[in-house]
Amino acid sequence: FSYNHFSFCQTSQPFLPVPKKHVLLFTTSFLIRLVLVAYGDYQDRNMVVKFTDIDYHVFTDAARFITQGESPYNRSTYRYTPLLAWLLTSNIYLTLVFGKMLFILCDALSGVLIYKILCMQGLDCKSASKISSLWLLNPLPMGVSSRGNAESILSALVLGTLLCMEAKHLACAAVLYGLSVHMKIYPVTYALPIALALRAPEGRREEGRQKQTWKKWVTFIGSFLNYELILFVSVAGAVFFTLKGLFYYMYGWQFLHETYFYHLTRRDIRHNFSPYFYMLYLTADSRGSQWLGLAAFLPQLILLLVASWAFHRHLAFACFLNTAIFVSFNKVCTSQYFLWYLCLLPLVIPHLSLSGKRGSGLLLLWFAGQGIWLAPAYFLEFEDYNTFFLIWMAGLLFLVINCFILVQIISHYRHTPPAQRLKTE
Amino acid sequence: STDDDQDHCDLFRQWLESSTVSTELGKRGFHRELTTTVELRPNVLHDISVLLLYRWPNGVYVDPYQLASLSAHNDWQILLDSSIDLEVPAHKTLGFLSYVYLSNAGSTSSLLKATIPVHGRYHEPSLAGETFTTVHIKPPDMLLRTGKCLDRLESYAVVDAPCTVSNSSMCPWVKINRQQEEGIIIFQVPVGDGSVVMPVCVGTLLVTIVCCVALSKCLFSLHVHTRASC
Repeated sequence: FSYNHFSFCQTSQPFLPVPKKHVLLFTTSFLIRLVLVAYGDYQDRNMVVKFTDIDYHVFTDAARFITQGESPYNRSTYRYTPLLAWLLTSNIYLTLVFGKMLFILCDALSGVLIYKILCMQGLDCKSASKISSLWLLNPLPMGVSSRGNAESILSALVLGTLLCMEAKHLACAAVLYGLSVHMKIYPVTYALPIALALRAPEGRREEGRQKQTWKKWVTFIGSFLNYELILFVSVAGAVFFTLKGLFYYMYGWQFLHETYFYHLTRRDIRHNFSPYFYMLYLTADSRGSQWLGLAAFLPQLILLLVASWAFHRHLAFACFLNTAIFVSFNKVCTSQYFLWYLCLLPLVIPHLSLSGKRGSGLLLLWFAGQGIWLAPAYFLEFEDYNTFFLIWMAGLLFLVINCFILVQIISHYRHTPPAQRLKTE
Repeated sequence: STDDDQDHCDLFRQWLESSTVSTELGKRGFHRELTTTVELRPNVLHDISVLLLYRWPNGVYVDPYQLASLSAHNDWQILLDSSIDLEVPAHKTLGFLSYVYLSNAGSTSSLLKATIPVHGRYHEPSLAGETFTTVHIKPPDMLLRTGKCLDRLESYAVVDAPCTVSNSSMCPWVKINRQQEEGIIIFQVPVGDGSVVMPVCVGTLLVTIVCCVALSKCLFSLHVHTRASC
């Protein structure tokens, strides 16, 4: 099942309108998010505990600096691309909820993109709408985007890239991919699966003839030099470097530092889901901390390479695995990061042969892992208890749980969706 | 007239002698509230500007954005002397000053209150295995402003500070005498255990490496044998 030979693709046109019966699902999900935004506005005005996330205020303050002709990085803790602050200048000129409207729109759009990708992969439209409703009617992304987090823009860009790859519109995919890497670093992990998927298809097998190893290597490296891959790399690279150059020209070194280098060398030692949190806190000032940082990076890197190679023929699954591995083994992990791989999970679900019971069991286990971490974290931050040791253990347990769930998902992944298997059988 | 000025200066001297300031730390955990109560004695209806000068240690910080959003509901205003890094640990930063401007204009009570949310910073892990470290917050200096009564106040210190929260000019303020050591607030902050750094490093790396190997093995075996399970 090479990437280029998907023969059971029923709809090769990704931009055809959606069937009418499913438009109701999409409009309902958008309306629910709209109601949440309105409620959030009410809660912000009338109650002490605010609905809107602190990040939204950071974005708005940065946008305000731009409207005053200054750098958005004058706002401390603004560590995103200036593009986001530019987009949100309408928060200042039009209405304060403009940003939230944009985020919930991208969120609903992500659900539509999931539906289209599933249809393109050959799933029947009814199942596709059921699975995309796992995202559209899911309270977690609803809550996150209506509170003013910008994660939905990333998920829309990543899903858009996958849809264009599925439809073989490579230039489109490359533009969206370049944009997504500009906005956040983690889509860089998709570069290897995409490159492996776009290689020249394997030539006819020469029966019984053993090629010499060096010839195999030459063929392997040569397969990377084909038109499609070079086109993708050029367009994505052009988008990424043009934006980078433009913003470097406008905002200088601070842009590069806050958007990229800060995240790469981040030494935020405060408690978070990462298994490395306590180790990095205790060794923050010691001389060996650089080596420990590298030792923490190696498992992540190795797993990303292995997962990319193992599943490059199934691009959506490879991207899901890469993101889940990246987040679970990262030196910093907050709950916002979970959305990065959760938006790709609906694409993987039709290929899983997990029973409903087992699937819900795994989901409960995942939530339990978070709960076990959140309890001591709450007591540390809001009640005077020193629970650092418990938080450390809970972080390690959460890593083990995540790996267990990933192993289950990998074991039960089948190449063809269940509907297709029934058809061919 | 000079009689009015004389009365005003007498009143001012009475305020300097009898007014009190007390502080209290509320809430628990890393996020606390420091409530400062100023009692002006004698309680006479007369406009006065009170300035509280806080000298914060490096172990705590205030969030300027949080303060800005609270300022709409408060009758006090705060001015910080430097920009605040919200994330840096305590031993990598210095303390800072804040000026809190209180006013009794429009208030009939003799008590003026300011509640400032303060947050504890992360501290260096304790090598001796202690679970908490102590941050000492000194109570603020209370300063009163007057334009005209600077003579006959030799026993009081005069400090130059911004006249208002807009920080456009400096004025002389008179500091109320207070015992230096009284009223220091103790803020206990949990701190990491530096004595277990070796077991923590070994344990963390062990678990992550085992997980990495298990996941890699699963990925390899499935790549090679399409029907195997991990």
